[in-house]
Amino acid sequence: MSFDLNFIGILIGAIMASSVPLILAASGELITERSGVLNLGVEGMMIIGAISGFALMVVTDNLFFAVIGSMVSGLILSLIFGLLTQSLLTNHVATGLALTIFGIGMSAMIGKNFVGIPGKEFPLLFLNLKESIPFLGPIFFGHSIILYFAFGLPFLTNYFLKKTKTGLIIRAVGDSPTSASNQGINVTLVRYSCILYGGAMCGLAGAYLSLIYTPQWIENMTGGRGWIALALVVFATWSPIKVLIGALIFGGITILQLHMQAVGLRIPVQLLSALPYIMTIIVLVVISRDSRKIKLNTPTSLGQIFYKEK
Amino acid sequence: MNTKLKVSEISKIYPGCVANDKVSLEFGSGKIYALLGENGAGKSTLVKILSGVVKPDEGQVFLNNESIKLNSPLDAKKNNIGMVFQHFNLFETLSVFENLSIDSDKKNEDLRVLVNDILKKYKFKIELDIPVLNLSAGQKQKVEIIRCLIRNPKVLIMDEPTSVLTEQETDDLFISLKQFSKDGILIIYITHKLKEVLSLCDEVAVMRKGKVVSVSNTNNEKIESLANKMVGENLNTIKKKINNFKNSEEILKISNLNFKSDDPYETNLNNLNFSLKKGECLGIAGISGNGQNELFQILSGEIITEGTSIMFRNKEIGKLNPRERREYLMAFSPEDRISQAAVPELKIYENVALNNFKSSNFFEKGLVNEKKIKEHSKKILSNFSVNTDNVELKSQFLSGGNLQKLIIGRELITSPELLVCFNPTWGLDVGAINYIHETLIQINEEGKSSILISTDNDELLKLSDRICVIYKGKLSKIMNADTVTAEKLGILMGGGSID
Repeated sequence: MSFDLNFIGILIGAIMASSVPLILAASGELITERSGVLNLGVEGMMIIGAISGFALMVVTDNLFFAVIGSMVSGLILSLIFGLLTQSLLTNHVATGLALTIFGIGMSAMIGKNFVGIPGKEFPLLFLNLKESIPFLGPIFFGHSIILYFAFGLPFLTNYFLKKTKTGLIIRAVGDSPTSASNQGINVTLVRYSCILYGGAMCGLAGAYLSLIYTPQWIENMTGGRGWIALALVVFATWSPIKVLIGALIFGGITILQLHMQAVGLRIPVQLLSALPYIMTIIVLVVISRDSRKIKLNTPTSLGQIFYKEK
Repeated sequence: MNTKLKVSEISKIYPGCVANDKVSLEFGSGKIYALLGENGAGKSTLVKILSGVVKPDEGQVFLNNESIKLNSPLDAKKNNIGMVFQHFNLFETLSVFENLSIDSDKKNEDLRVLVNDILKKYKFKIELDIPVLNLSAGQKQKVEIIRCLIRNPKVLIMDEPTSVLTEQETDDLFISLKQFSKDGILIIYITHKLKEVLSLCDEVAVMRKGKVVSVSNTNNEKIESLANKMVGENLNTIKKKINNFKNSEEILKISNLNFKSDDPYETNLNNLNFSLKKGECLGIAGISGNGQNELFQILSGEIITEGTSIMFRNKEIGKLNPRERREYLMAFSPEDRISQAAVPELKIYENVALNNFKSSNFFEKGLVNEKKIKEHSKKILSNFSVNTDNVELKSQFLSGGNLQKLIIGRELITSPELLVCFNPTWGLDVGAINYIHETLIQINEEGKSSILISTDNDELLKLSDRICVIYKGKLSKIMNADTVTAEKLGILMGGGSID
């Protein structure tokens, strides 16, 4: 019995680990979108974060530099997006798509020399506790610091948006950039900051994949997680806590259906593989069906270009 | 505390338009100043300059004899100049208190005390912790005013504040403004409504085509004298013949019309019943947001309803879409000229072609017959005195008045039996309003019917044969226009009842 329980604990731990990149990227994108900017470049920024993190790890042999470097590279990519959409007033959707295409191509090019190189072991915290406490040990302990950060992030984001002045200003800009500008808020600065923060978080999400989750470089290793993160933000109706729930469901069903495939259930593999997508959407739609709340959480100006009167 | 505000030789030039041409004015506290002018006269540009939203090309602003720089809204705030815009600068999804706290440096607890003091002092009743989108227009305006009052303003600028208010709310606003003036705040009141100038303000400056054409004491002015200064020509007043429709044929019958929406921004309609006779104009009054939008969309077919609830010339048309309804000779002029009635990026003749695609022969075998459309468009431009004969012009370059003439012309040139219009003169200047009003009276005289959904009571009283009020999605009883007064409408519009 205690063996079974421990196994379930390990399974839950694995589910948590698999949802980390989604939580990080979606939390970052959530802040960006709350300021009224729709950045579809999440996938591109994630994969650039993944390759630059991995490459820096190989070159410097320092995981700290690798993690910081991945965030900086995500940030630089989002800065390009910011320059285009905020300063040159290009269309958000087209620019974001271009960013993703660029990121995927760029990462493949840089990554050519890093294929097949083994990753470095990332330090995991509280390993002794993980082994000594059955069930709860594998759930709460033996993870990387980034996982703990990721699980705190939605709550921090929620507090930041609801309780702080800066959060209020971001929501105001997302609601009506014209009104905000007339109130003396520097809309462009606020939006730039939110874009850069989103970029850094996407970079970190990529680093988690290439440094911790599957410590190696594989071309296109984000495998559409950036798009899932984008969808999570929308289906979670811009609520950070619901993003966390959505990411866990997605991660959970991904892991579970892998086990079901391994067991050899007589369900078509394609259906099992589609299950996480279907279930995540269903659950999020069900928990966010209050149309009043959706109205209040949706950034009204999402994707709109803002011109300042001169 | 005395405040003096002076603008000196202010000029602002936009491509193709001189918005302000060496405007000089002086204001002092203790008085309420009116800034009067038609749309496009330059009032809004001037107040945008005073509130730091727009930078002037030339000229200076002096506050208490000191030159001040107003490069951003923050500068205006620092100089204690408060501004309530015509289109509210509120964040709809944030709570009232969040809207107030966003540009205040005070701690939330202190701010709450201050706001409650202001609410008490001026007898405003507003809940602070509900989202702004749940407030009425009058309440939203109060939130804007409170936002200014928090900063102890020396100058308070109100830009067309009554365009969204009921008569009662307007009276309340005037009482508050007089109290602010007594408390030493200098008030500049921008409007194109002449009555308000005379009843509220002490001095009036009239602007026309970017220039100040007159400054005078309101005691020396009458409505006619101000109107002529504003337009720069003598306007003829129009009157409608009162008709008796007892024997006329019934053309439209609405029975048990209901509409339910899940969208919190929309209003539900509750069991509407009315009918319309040939040659008659039915006016529907109400404060915006009480279901006018939904009613217009149901009449035009943008929202489809039960077939039997709308009978037009004895046919059930509730299930038909706008194009099919046009074939039954209905015509529609929506409220929003730019986004609903016309496509601003398209040329004039392309816009004309948009709603005539079946009854006319503009399209042959799937091809556009440009020559025919252009001829037809030229006819509209000349018949409805649109201020251009270039059908290739993009519609976005037409002024509001000319665009409205084009839209009404496009609808009327097919001789419809019924025209449904929604705020047809919204935001237009006196000259254009006059023209639209004459046109609407003329179609009634030709035996065509019209439904006028409007938030402008003067317009309704001038044009309607019968009037009713829509309040929270319900219609009041329908009254003959000659028995209705603005006061009666005001009571009904605020949800009261009359007998």
